[in-house]
Amino acid sequence: MLLAIDTSSLVLSCALMEEDRLVAEWTVQRRLTHSEQLIPHMDALLAEAGVAKKDITAVACAAGPGSFTGLRIGLATAKMTARIWGVPLIAVDTLEGLAWNMAGAEAFILPLEDAQRGNVYAALYGAFETMWLEAPEAAAPIDEVIAAAVRHGGPVIAVGEGADMYREKLLAAGIRLAQPHDRCCRAGSVAAAAWAKWKRGEAADPMTLVPNYIRRSEAEVLWEQRHPEAKS
Amino acid sequence: MKILAFESSCDETSCAVIEDGRRILSDVISSQVPIHKKFGGVVPEIASRHHIEDVLPVAEEALAEAGCAWGDMDAIAVTQGPGLVGALLVGVAAAKAAAWALGVPLIAVNHMEGHIFANLLQYPDLEPPFLALVVSGGHTMLVVVRDYNTFELLGQTRDDAAGEAFDKIARVMGYPYPGGPHIDRLAKEGDADAIHFPMAMAKEHNFDFSFSGLKSAVINYLHTAEMKKQPVVKEDVAASFQRAVVDVLVAKAMAAIDKTGLRTIVLAGGVAANSGLRTALSAACEARGVRLCRPDPILCTDNGAMIGCRAYYMAQAGDFAPMTLNADPRLPFLADQVR
Repeated sequence: MLLAIDTSSLVLSCALMEEDRLVAEWTVQRRLTHSEQLIPHMDALLAEAGVAKKDITAVACAAGPGSFTGLRIGLATAKMTARIWGVPLIAVDTLEGLAWNMAGAEAFILPLEDAQRGNVYAALYGAFETMWLEAPEAAAPIDEVIAAAVRHGGPVIAVGEGADMYREKLLAAGIRLAQPHDRCCRAGSVAAAAWAKWKRGEAADPMTLVPNYIRRSEAEVLWEQRHPEAKS
Repeated sequence: MKILAFESSCDETSCAVIEDGRRILSDVISSQVPIHKKFGGVVPEIASRHHIEDVLPVAEEALAEAGCAWGDMDAIAVTQGPGLVGALLVGVAAAKAAAWALGVPLIAVNHMEGHIFANLLQYPDLEPPFLALVVSGGHTMLVVVRDYNTFELLGQTRDDAAGEAFDKIARVMGYPYPGGPHIDRLAKEGDADAIHFPMAMAKEHNFDFSFSGLKSAVINYLHTAEMKKQPVVKEDVAASFQRAVVDVLVAKAMAAIDKTGLRTIVLAGGVAANSGLRTALSAACEARGVRLCRPDPILCTDNGAMIGCRAYYMAQAGDFAPMTLNADPRLPFLADQVR
């Protein structure tokens, strides 16, 4: 039984998956306080599904990009539980998890997460018979991301909180939006992506796993701008 | 009872295993001080990034040093606040997950109470009641510890904390963060009577402090000298400034001893490592026949051991935290303080 969590955006989601079956999922898109609610939600999910902690055989977590604080809450929780229970930890890229919302859609999937000040974390996935990464992830202004998606062509479907934030721009560029239940971060999709990775033997080391921030901290960037001589 | 305690309120990631409140089985501290040095202070986002990287390895090292396994822990403790919110959140999330995964109780500790309880680790025979003088980068206060779970706040700073003034003045004098130890070192070489700086609230008959006026006076002195191109004897500035801070701390602490009739005073917080304060306070205590307790420098820094010690006495009182626990960057010292 795999336990998956996603706290990378304003969505708080956890899920249980067994082989090819989603056993339970709890997804709340209400800007809850992740640090307060994550453990109570996980605890309730297990109780409602009749799953004991000792039945968990793997833990998966959305590992970024996304909200820095949200990612750290999710990762701290996933790292500790996986290590203490002695089960594999599987880190799923947040954008890949979002793309899995649309697995098999016969389209290109554009997952968008808020990177603030008009920027998004974006990537492009092919979601046909198999799922593949078509264009690598980056943090970029939304207008650039939309232009690149239009140049790429093919049916493109946007998912993620960035799709909600930039709905009008995306629609004007001919990019469709996924339906509400497919548009937000969901631990069920993280679980599906994680299960595939787990089968391929792609487990993470809880002792060393850190969030994929994509961006460095602002203080470091500013410091380097002021100290160009320090750049090696 | 064995407690694994997490501390991540600022720039140290620390975990400790404490047995029955007083026995330190391990106290592992991963300091980020060298990392933040070039920025001239702690950068919250960078601190948080190091905490998430270090929290599990530090916890496992603490368990290994203690010769324990995760399953040997009877409870998990964590610093809830005060501190940097992003930094606190890493420890809180890790501790909650550990407590939940193990099925053991969670204890939420006030960081400043932890600093006071560091003295209980240093002195096995120390028991309340006693007076605590807490002096750190964020706090300056006088607290009566009536028993293990009853505290009374006598007074605190109305503006800057003493440690804040130390760091700021060191910075103006061109010393890297953290500046307190530089002032302390310079002060030993200087003449404390060389410059007259105002003593902070020494004349008021209460137990409150104020250091912003003193801080401004020292900075003005340095800036004026710079503008007039007059030479500055840094040692004398440091000694005179440190004297002004120490004198008021000692005077108010002794007034509190006289008022409360307590016979023991404990020092707590990062500035407790300041040698000028230690010397002046021990002289004043000796003159009154009052016992002075002060933790070793390692127990004055942010550490998990003091959190585990405080947590043990909270557990004895049945004071456990729910799984909805959140970090509180401005956690007050006392919810029901008696003034």
